[in-house]
Amino acid sequence: MIFKAENSKENSIPKGVTDFLPEQADKIGYIEGKICRVFELWGFRRIITPMLEYEDSLSLGMDDELRRRAFRFEDRQSARLLAIPPDITPQVARVEGMRMSGFPLPHRLFYTGRVLRHVESQSGRSRELFQAGVELIGLDSPEADAEMIAMAVEVLQKLGIEGFKVDLGQVDFFKGIMASAGLEAGTSRLLQEAIARKDSSAVRLILEGAALSDQLKEEIAALPRLFGGTEILDLAGRMVRNDRSQRALENLSEVIDILAIHGISEQLTVDLGEIRGLAYHTGLTFEGFVPGIGEPVCGGGRYDGLMARYGAAKPATGFAFNVLSLLQGLESRPEVEASKRMDLLIFNQQEDRRDALAIATGLRRQGISVARDIIRRDLEDSLEYARRMNILQVMIIAPDCGARDEVCLLKVADGTRRYVSKEEILAGNGRDLLG
Amino acid sequence: MSDFITIAIPKGRILEESVELFAKIGIDCRELLGKSRKLIFENEAQRMRYMIVRATDVPTYVEYGAADLGIVGKDTLMEQGKNLYEPLDLKFGYCRMMVAEPAGLADQDDPSRWSNIRIATKYPNVTEKYFAAKGVQVEIIKLYGSIELAPLVGLSQRIVDLVSTGETLKQNGLVEVETIAEITTRLIVNRASLKTKHKRISEIIEGLEKQI
Repeated sequence: MIFKAENSKENSIPKGVTDFLPEQADKIGYIEGKICRVFELWGFRRIITPMLEYEDSLSLGMDDELRRRAFRFEDRQSARLLAIPPDITPQVARVEGMRMSGFPLPHRLFYTGRVLRHVESQSGRSRELFQAGVELIGLDSPEADAEMIAMAVEVLQKLGIEGFKVDLGQVDFFKGIMASAGLEAGTSRLLQEAIARKDSSAVRLILEGAALSDQLKEEIAALPRLFGGTEILDLAGRMVRNDRSQRALENLSEVIDILAIHGISEQLTVDLGEIRGLAYHTGLTFEGFVPGIGEPVCGGGRYDGLMARYGAAKPATGFAFNVLSLLQGLESRPEVEASKRMDLLIFNQQEDRRDALAIATGLRRQGISVARDIIRRDLEDSLEYARRMNILQVMIIAPDCGARDEVCLLKVADGTRRYVSKEEILAGNGRDLLG
Repeated sequence: MSDFITIAIPKGRILEESVELFAKIGIDCRELLGKSRKLIFENEAQRMRYMIVRATDVPTYVEYGAADLGIVGKDTLMEQGKNLYEPLDLKFGYCRMMVAEPAGLADQDDPSRWSNIRIATKYPNVTEKYFAAKGVQVEIIKLYGSIELAPLVGLSQRIVDLVSTGETLKQNGLVEVETIAEITTRLIVNRASLKTKHKRISEIIEGLEKQI
């Protein structure tokens, strides 16, 4: 087969990974910057974890599905199996157990980083994920869970996203019902899969053959439909009989009450049949959804069992944003577009470069981004370059441009020109002059 | 655009039955039955949008959120295993997914003794899982249509396919030997859509449920 514009095999890149050119990279930087600023404002400190881990150590903190999706290979130095982390939370748990167990609690940690995961072929999905997340270690109070959700909401608001929902779940509600049913493992797994898909008819079919009381059958059959607004909690409370599920509901409503103090209510939905990550989570869970984006933009929850696997039993909660899915939703917003703009390109037509360099230095000191054209070419070509690079204005320094000691400022968008004196620019009001 | 509900529907019988079912809950999409070659229809007044797509593509459109809802056979869902909600069995389009073989072979065949067999099918994933669970090694030949032909020309010994009346099987001298699953048409929902538009989507689900 012959492709047009054929790339040699050596120059191609593997499936499921992407080069981000400056335009998109700037937008990713803008989004990550907003997220990290919120994390810092809530008192979280950055942690950086390595790109390689021993597979067995990392596996302690992952469920089967995630473990299967990790990239693994042999270490030439130790002959042990290495893995590229498919998630950062198990790494934070390892660091906590190995290095930080003596530190005073709670730990508020955040990270941004990339992880790799195998995906099914031809699904069009990326194998590389950009994550930005937090872990709050050492607290088991509902206020800690509410803090996670409040931060997620604050980030989404600061990014200017409208109509988003944060969907709350509580895995103990499901676990309580299943524990009192005491079904054998096979049936239980089938039910779990059907409930995760909200497949009511499959749930009813499985229940038909099960030896359970009518009360329990009714509770299980209701799970695929127990989603909606916070009113679902009352409905669930009247229906379910076991203590564990009742406590799960109390925990949920405590978190919801605290969120109300944060002014967060109408953004919340509840789904008691949401049981993804059951092997890992131990209490409240949540995911953030944005209209028009098919997958959650963030997700997390309580995982009290994880730290113990790394030798430091402590309650913990956390969540992470999927930065690329946020990018998908924000790409064309004006303020995100603006994040990729530069202020000024200096086009010098004089032999002498001293003026150009002095003005550039002076403006940079005032916080204005300035690039020098350097290449000798026509103004037309420089303008075209500025347009392609998203530079807002071009400054022309030339002996025959305006009066003596004046330079010309040319707006790239509409070609309008203004003349200002060099002195005025260097006097410290460059920002006003550039408008 | 986001206050619209978009539904992906495949052409053919599913389309007719779906239009009829939606009409019962006051959602009028008879326009889809016309001769137009348009692939997307909009009902401005009801804030609804309809897309006509291939049956095997319905789960993909819904998984990515290009459509909020979709209507598709359980066979396609089983084969693709996508991350979706499937809250409603619409009960129409009933058929069975089964293993069939030539009548002559079936006379002396004992499925419990199968150990290494060759199967032609449109459903390689379902077939592989089904036989793996029984501890039977299968060599799978993926075909895109006229599966019944494969055993007649020696391409495979057996097939895994859908059967509704059994007439095609009979005319090609095949008999059903094992049922893998009962298949009906399902309503599927994108995860984010169910959360961000839960009122409207819940109304549709509950409305349809009463009609079934």
